[in-house]
Amino acid sequence: MVMGVIGYLYGLFTSNMMDIPLIKPLVDYLLNIPGINFIVALILWRPFFAIAIAPGLGALMLYLLWIVYFERKLTARVQWRVGPLEVCRPIRGLIQALADGIRYFFQEAIVHREAHKPYFIQLPILAFIPVLIPIMFIPAGKVVGIKSDYAIQLIVAFIALIPITIIAIGWASNSRFAYIGSVREAFMYFAYEVPFVIAVISMIFIYGSGNPYTAVEKQAIVPGAILNPIAFIVYMIAMLMATSRLPFEIPEADQEIAFGPFVEYSGILFGLVMTLAYEKLYIMALLFTILFLGGWSGPPIPILGDLAPVIWLVLKTVIAISILVIVRSIYARYRLDQAIRLGWSSMLGLSLISLVVCAAVRWIL
Amino acid sequence: MIRIKKVELSLAERVKSHIDAITTAVKQAIRPDRITVEYPRERRRYPDIFRGFIVFDKDKCISCFRCAQICPANAIKMEFYDRYYPSIDYAKCIFCHFCVDSCPTGALRTSKVHDIAFKSLEEMHLHTTQIMKIPEIIREDKVTVEYEIKDGKWRLVRKKELDKLEVEVPPPVIKPRKAFCIEPENCLGCRLCVTVCPQEAITFDRKKAMIRINLEKCVGCGLCVRQCPMQILELKVVA
Repeated sequence: MVMGVIGYLYGLFTSNMMDIPLIKPLVDYLLNIPGINFIVALILWRPFFAIAIAPGLGALMLYLLWIVYFERKLTARVQWRVGPLEVCRPIRGLIQALADGIRYFFQEAIVHREAHKPYFIQLPILAFIPVLIPIMFIPAGKVVGIKSDYAIQLIVAFIALIPITIIAIGWASNSRFAYIGSVREAFMYFAYEVPFVIAVISMIFIYGSGNPYTAVEKQAIVPGAILNPIAFIVYMIAMLMATSRLPFEIPEADQEIAFGPFVEYSGILFGLVMTLAYEKLYIMALLFTILFLGGWSGPPIPILGDLAPVIWLVLKTVIAISILVIVRSIYARYRLDQAIRLGWSSMLGLSLISLVVCAAVRWIL
Repeated sequence: MIRIKKVELSLAERVKSHIDAITTAVKQAIRPDRITVEYPRERRRYPDIFRGFIVFDKDKCISCFRCAQICPANAIKMEFYDRYYPSIDYAKCIFCHFCVDSCPTGALRTSKVHDIAFKSLEEMHLHTTQIMKIPEIIREDKVTVEYEIKDGKWRLVRKKELDKLEVEVPPPVIKPRKAFCIEPENCLGCRLCVTVCPQEAITFDRKKAMIRINLEKCVGCGLCVRQCPMQILELKVVA
């Protein structure tokens, strides 16, 4: 019975396996060894690979290590400082984020007396659900978790769930700063969500479908950023607002409310909630790449086979984010009312114009 | 009442200022004007007039005590070897370098050493033998950082060279001076000058009740001049 189930699963995995010519001899050799062949088949099963390795969890972790270091280093350079350096001097402190992560892991996680204890501990972990579910719908070439005609809409819907967990975290912390932070998070949510959704809708309208494959196909010649530059700008600003990057770092405001909703956290729990915004940025940037930058299309690399589109997608995303983080060192933070005014006036107006633009583009095409 | 008006900028000006800010940031990100000096791997080049560790030259010293008397922090104490020489207590020293400025023969001079560690308070009192040369330093620096001002703009320049910590001071122009008694008739005969003279150049003539200065032994330190209660002694330039 058990052998039958394993045999069925093995057949399922091998029927939809990653085709990478570079490591094909090695994979063939490993598939002949009983026991290991099941694990290898699982890892190379396309849906599992998409969710657990790239563009899913593995790529997300590598991206986190890179972006935390890169952002600190870039800001430091613009501000005439050195930035992280001492952790590993020969590579100029590249593994700083890893060292921080290890430190968080072994630090004591304090739960203060006023906190709602079960929620306080659960919510940082629960917050990962809306972060990780969208990854299932993000395809990279043939590598995809769940194929769906409404993938883009689903990703937007799950991204919209993330602020709710953050507000819940602030409520569970039960402290003044966390309360102010959650209220600000809620206000920012109102400010960016409507223009963001309208920008995405206008792009879906251009491509005629919520299917990422159709979107990338339509961008074969001209990327979406040129098809609808206004939606591009609106999406970019909304992305900054949604992930509390610096010009809109209002909910987390280090200087006044000391990390806002996350003020009471310490240890590994703080490590989890601190990376939440970065993970949200990753998901939104993946969607950004698919909608505006041509997704996983790029010069074909025959030797990598199915891995090439994955590499192009992740590379485009990380480069887009790396360029985007420089705004942190250019602009000062907006006040809450200014940000909301921006969201409901200029951005809403621009997003409506982008709808008109997309109608024009569709008429031309 | 002064009303502050909102600065009105046209769209073109706004776009221009945004572009300016972004280009500045990108320029700095690619080639930053980093102002952090990675001491001790890098060392700033200090000017020659930097007030650092004080180096003492025994051969030039004339034991005039001026450094000890001018020191506002009472950090300099004279120690007797064959003559009186200064010793510096760095627990008290405020690095005003009045002693260096007041030294008539240039026996005290500055250096660019500013990083010395002591294990205890007692150790901070450096004896004359310890201040005759700059202390032993392990040089970890390989780069010298220097401010360069050009066309009203400054930037930091890093050069792969070692800065010399010892300062070459041009010797001060010394006019030889000797002590003279200008009004011998007013002498009280207190013999303070005789007691104070480190060179034993002054003797007291009991018969005439007058002092006699041996000009060959006198080095012109001026201790007797400062000591004399009648202020009848004076340092005069000798040709």
